[in-house]
Amino acid sequence: MLSPERLALPDYEYLAQRHVLTYMEDAVCQLLENKEDISQYGIARFFTEYFNSVCQGTHILFREFSFIQATPHNRASFLRAFWRCFRTVGKNGDLLTMREYHCLLQLLCPDFPLELTQKAARIVLMDDAMDCLMSFSDFLFAFQIQFYYSEFLESVAAIYQDLLAGKNPNTVIVPTSSSGQHRQRPTVGEASVLEGVEASLFYQCLENLCDRHKYSCPPPALVKEVLSNVQRLTFYGFLVALSKHHGINQALGALPDKGDLMHDPATDEELERLLAQIPGLVNSATANPEASCLPSRTPPRVGSPWRPLHHARKLDAESDGSTEETDESET
Amino acid sequence: MAAVEKRRPAVAPAANFTDSGRPAGPRAAATAESEEDFLRQVGVTEMLRAALLKVLEARPEEPIAFLAHYFENMGLRSPANGGAGEPPGQLLLQQQRLGRALWHLRLAHHSQRTAFNNNVGVAYECLSASGRKKKPGLDGRTYSELLKRICRDGEAPEEVVAPLLHKIQCRDHEAVPLGVFRAGMLTCFVLLEFVARAGALYQLLEDPALAVADRRVGQAVLDTLEGALRASDEAAAPACFLEAGSRLGPDSLALAMDRALVARRPSSPMTREEFLEKAAALFIAKVKPVG
Repeated sequence: MLSPERLALPDYEYLAQRHVLTYMEDAVCQLLENKEDISQYGIARFFTEYFNSVCQGTHILFREFSFIQATPHNRASFLRAFWRCFRTVGKNGDLLTMREYHCLLQLLCPDFPLELTQKAARIVLMDDAMDCLMSFSDFLFAFQIQFYYSEFLESVAAIYQDLLAGKNPNTVIVPTSSSGQHRQRPTVGEASVLEGVEASLFYQCLENLCDRHKYSCPPPALVKEVLSNVQRLTFYGFLVALSKHHGINQALGALPDKGDLMHDPATDEELERLLAQIPGLVNSATANPEASCLPSRTPPRVGSPWRPLHHARKLDAESDGSTEETDESET
Repeated sequence: MAAVEKRRPAVAPAANFTDSGRPAGPRAAATAESEEDFLRQVGVTEMLRAALLKVLEARPEEPIAFLAHYFENMGLRSPANGGAGEPPGQLLLQQQRLGRALWHLRLAHHSQRTAFNNNVGVAYECLSASGRKKKPGLDGRTYSELLKRICRDGEAPEEVVAPLLHKIQCRDHEAVPLGVFRAGMLTCFVLLEFVARAGALYQLLEDPALAVADRRVGQAVLDTLEGALRASDEAAAPACFLEAGSRLGPDSLALAMDRALVARRPSSPMTREEFLEKAAALFIAKVKPVG
């Protein structure tokens, strides 16, 4: 019930750890952009809606990229929103290219950087096959790792390069030059024959990294598990293993297990209810329950990103009823 | 955090908790000033300052949910209070005051004693604010009603908490000083937690199939608890905690339960209500009556 650690922290650290000031500051920015809202509903109501939407994870919709990646909660909320909005792509079995997935991401976040989508696609595809089609779930899980652990993976890439080049990033900790040389020679020799780096050495470096990393990183025990199954591995081999590891997916808490990815009865019900209200759509929706035979390459309907922000937020607030119970786990 | 600071350079630092230096030209500075003025004028600055203080005082596990709840409550009570409409009836006003006091009391767990004491103080002020006809001060009737509400919301069975209420209640017309009020609130919250723990304990003893516990085991546990509590009468403060702790340790408790089972008394069931009532009675026996 009580966590003494939380109560013992200095004020500023407690606030920083939970990003309280980030959200308060953002709430004020939003308020300044929507001054007419306060005169109508009052400030307290405005803040209530803002903080409720943060809890429910709908606060990131149609926001700028810098905000979306500002906190781990925002990142998880964005992943979840992406999954919920475009789940039908996977359900229909459509395969899309990297650029098409990027367009979908931009529907939720207009200034989403292409670089990040490319990096995620590179986990799924080989370098020379970047135009190939990917399934929704492959892309989603690769994207999750790349987006959520982005800073961590950058550090991992640097460590990997050092190891490949025969440098041991841990040499500061093991300073005896003889042992360093001893290790160097065979690594260089092997690198020409074998691909990648030695898993156990790689793990030592990563363990060290997890300890001092200030951004989120995957649970070290699971990283160890991934690396203890193999002798050697490449950087992308490591990323693929991370993205397919269901324990890491669970620890992150934004997406369901791979098997349940297409299964979201609450949203399905809500969708059906909404579709039933649109007279023109009823026929096509009920006559074609096997939607998979439709080549629906057009992106699903979402609110256009250039709509004024406060407008979009009100839309979310209305549909919140159905999402509440599934969203609780991540807050 | 660095990325956050860079966000939207056109919007200047909104409230005075952002003290990091942002690039601000003369025009940006002007808008910043007007925005700061605006925020101060409409009361946002003051409101957020108060909210932040509450967060720091209570240190909730989930501060964002806490804030949502905090502002929701504020929004609920402001129109009724400051509205230009007709004044609410005396009874409604009383209910509002009770609700507000309860809300303050629940902001922090009683183990966070400083925060809890502050909140008790605020709740006391809420309740003793003078009505139109009444003199300021808290009377026994309101105090008793608050105690009842806390117990009811705490989901403890009525017969379990009734003896406590009897002990710490004041007469309806009596004025209740802050000290008595604070002690009463604290005792009430501690008892509720005690009863909840006792309920969990009972669940462990309970036979899942029959939904009752063995009387011999239940009584043994209660006796051990009583022994531990009695120990605190004899020794000075730090020693008695240790003494009670050791008596309640897994070893001695298991020993007592084992002995109870071996004893050749006939087995009979003990219900949850009975167990809770007896456990609570042990606690309530230690509470000093008011007056």
